[in-house]
Amino acid sequence: MRKIVRSMMILSLLAALAGCAKDDSEVIKIGAVGPMTGDQSKMGTDLKNSVELAVAEWNERGGVLGKKIVMIAGDDQADPKQAVSMANKFINQKVVGVVGHWNSSCSIPASKYYNDENVVMITPATTNPKLTLQGFSRVFRVCGTDDQQGRIAAEFVVNKLKPARIAVIHDKTAYGQGLAEYFKKALGEKVKIVFYNGIVLRDADYKAVLTAIKETKPDAYFFGGVYPEAGRLVRQANEIGLAAPMITGDGVFDPTFIDIAGKAAEGAFVTFGRDPSGLPTAQSFISKYTARYGSPGPYSLNAYDAANIILSAIEKTGTTDGAKLAAYISKTTFKGGFGDIAFDKNGDVKKAPYVVWAVRDGKFQQVP
Amino acid sequence: MFMQQLINGLALGAVYALIALGYTMVYGILQLINFAHGEVYMLGAYLGIIVLGILTALGLPAYSLPLTIFITLGLSMLFCAAYGATIERIAYRPLRGASRLAPLISAVGMSIILQNIVMLLQGKEYKYLPPVISFEGYALFGARISPVEIFILGASILLMLGLQLFISRTKMGKAMRATAQDRIMAGLTGVNINRVIGVTFMIGSALAAVAGVMVTLSYGVVHFFMGYTAGLKAFTAAVLGGIGSIPGAMLGGFMLGIIENFGASYISSVYKDAFAFVVLILTLIIRPSGLIGPRELDKV
Repeated sequence: MRKIVRSMMILSLLAALAGCAKDDSEVIKIGAVGPMTGDQSKMGTDLKNSVELAVAEWNERGGVLGKKIVMIAGDDQADPKQAVSMANKFINQKVVGVVGHWNSSCSIPASKYYNDENVVMITPATTNPKLTLQGFSRVFRVCGTDDQQGRIAAEFVVNKLKPARIAVIHDKTAYGQGLAEYFKKALGEKVKIVFYNGIVLRDADYKAVLTAIKETKPDAYFFGGVYPEAGRLVRQANEIGLAAPMITGDGVFDPTFIDIAGKAAEGAFVTFGRDPSGLPTAQSFISKYTARYGSPGPYSLNAYDAANIILSAIEKTGTTDGAKLAAYISKTTFKGGFGDIAFDKNGDVKKAPYVVWAVRDGKFQQVP
Repeated sequence: MFMQQLINGLALGAVYALIALGYTMVYGILQLINFAHGEVYMLGAYLGIIVLGILTALGLPAYSLPLTIFITLGLSMLFCAAYGATIERIAYRPLRGASRLAPLISAVGMSIILQNIVMLLQGKEYKYLPPVISFEGYALFGARISPVEIFILGASILLMLGLQLFISRTKMGKAMRATAQDRIMAGLTGVNINRVIGVTFMIGSALAAVAGVMVTLSYGVVHFFMGYTAGLKAFTAAVLGGIGSIPGAMLGGFMLGIIENFGASYISSVYKDAFAFVVLILTLIIRPSGLIGPRELDKV
């Protein structure tokens, strides 16, 4: 009796294993990874929702290569170590492509593992230029980079604001200082930079540095940093009578900036992605996403595009081999929510997806 | 620029001076550096933002702005005074007979506890307040001074004068001076030492609360970590003026504010925080008793 029970157990175990193995070849797995818990959990959840939506749409149409698509969600907790361990987990689960990660500090270390193990990675939100400068052929991004952003800001300053003198400050972080450096580089000799310095992050009082800036009589000033500092800067600039407008990057694109600064925020310029709500190519995504999850986040459409790029590459090439998929992706133009997406040799989008927004009447409005 | 930096420095210095008073008063009486004092200032700022938020929701600022600020200051001072007295009661009084190191460690622990309580209750994010007082500046000698700065300077100078009068003219002030001179002797002559120490903590904390509310009004942003740096700088101000000396704390606060502003604008804004600590080190090396501190520091 015991023998029978044991052999039955072994048999059922084998059957289960066989089932697993069978499952693996009959579905196509896509990873969605970002910070799903902690401070930035909203960002990770936005990403996951978008991939889930794309996968659901493909499955309704009968999947890809005749197989069902399964999304596997991963949480990197915005922590580089966790990101690498998630990457290994995805690799063990034989994921074909990954949409993620969110943070530069996660995407960069994880990208090596995906590239080495023949998995395609497309990040919807990592803007640090370093990610795609590592020479990894399987790593792409559908968002912009900080150097593109600095360039767009500089072009706007040179062509539209036309100041004679400009001041540049940053918050000394990798993001803020990086952005300020790219801006400065893109500006070149076209505008005279009369002041360049860092400020103390989290400091309450910036009047000293603002007074020093005022003394150099700039027509505008650029700030590389995030909204809490930016809010205090424009507020105190108003207090000491520095009337020059602020130009800053996507880290300031948050309604809290306007809440902190009140009227002083009026007339500030921020570089950020285009507003998808008016684009015909984004309408179907926005309505479907809103029906399922509520209003989309700032990078939701990017994550949706990233998932669609991976899935359509699988369909078109008829393979799940990472190298072949990457080769196809790098030379194809895809129809995305913001318009056509084509990649350069590094895996960055060819057309910088940044536009300039301005604060008008207490709201961010795209500058036409 | 010189005039503008002077105004900026004075407004910032007023905040440091108010916090520094709490350090110096407690040190004068207990020879204890109350490292939790910066957190009381942070609590004052949070209370300021909460009370102002509620009053704004009730529509009071539109009705009477001075009344709004008066209520905010009053409530914040009251709460912080209670906090100060409680901190003294649970963290320092049980250790009064112990070695000088024990209450110091207890103070650091208290500071960490308060920071974490606020972080858990209010979150890790910045809390902000839309501008309540208009901060459009007036022209003054080629510089600009805003209503917020006028209010900060005016209110802090009034409070400092009031404190000076309280210490020199009232019975409680006399008891405080007596306790600072010799705690045991004062107790023998019938001064209620525990009460005097309690009142000292309450006054110091209420002044820190005023500083917190002022910062809220002026910068509009609070963060659970803000008490740490501000506390260290105010401590520097107290040491610069001469710890234990009340006029010293005021002088030290204003001087530190001015030094920081001039340093940040004429040398480099990157090192703004460093100037305060360079001042601290130089004071400790060159003149440990501070600018106008008591001559003999260690009473035996």
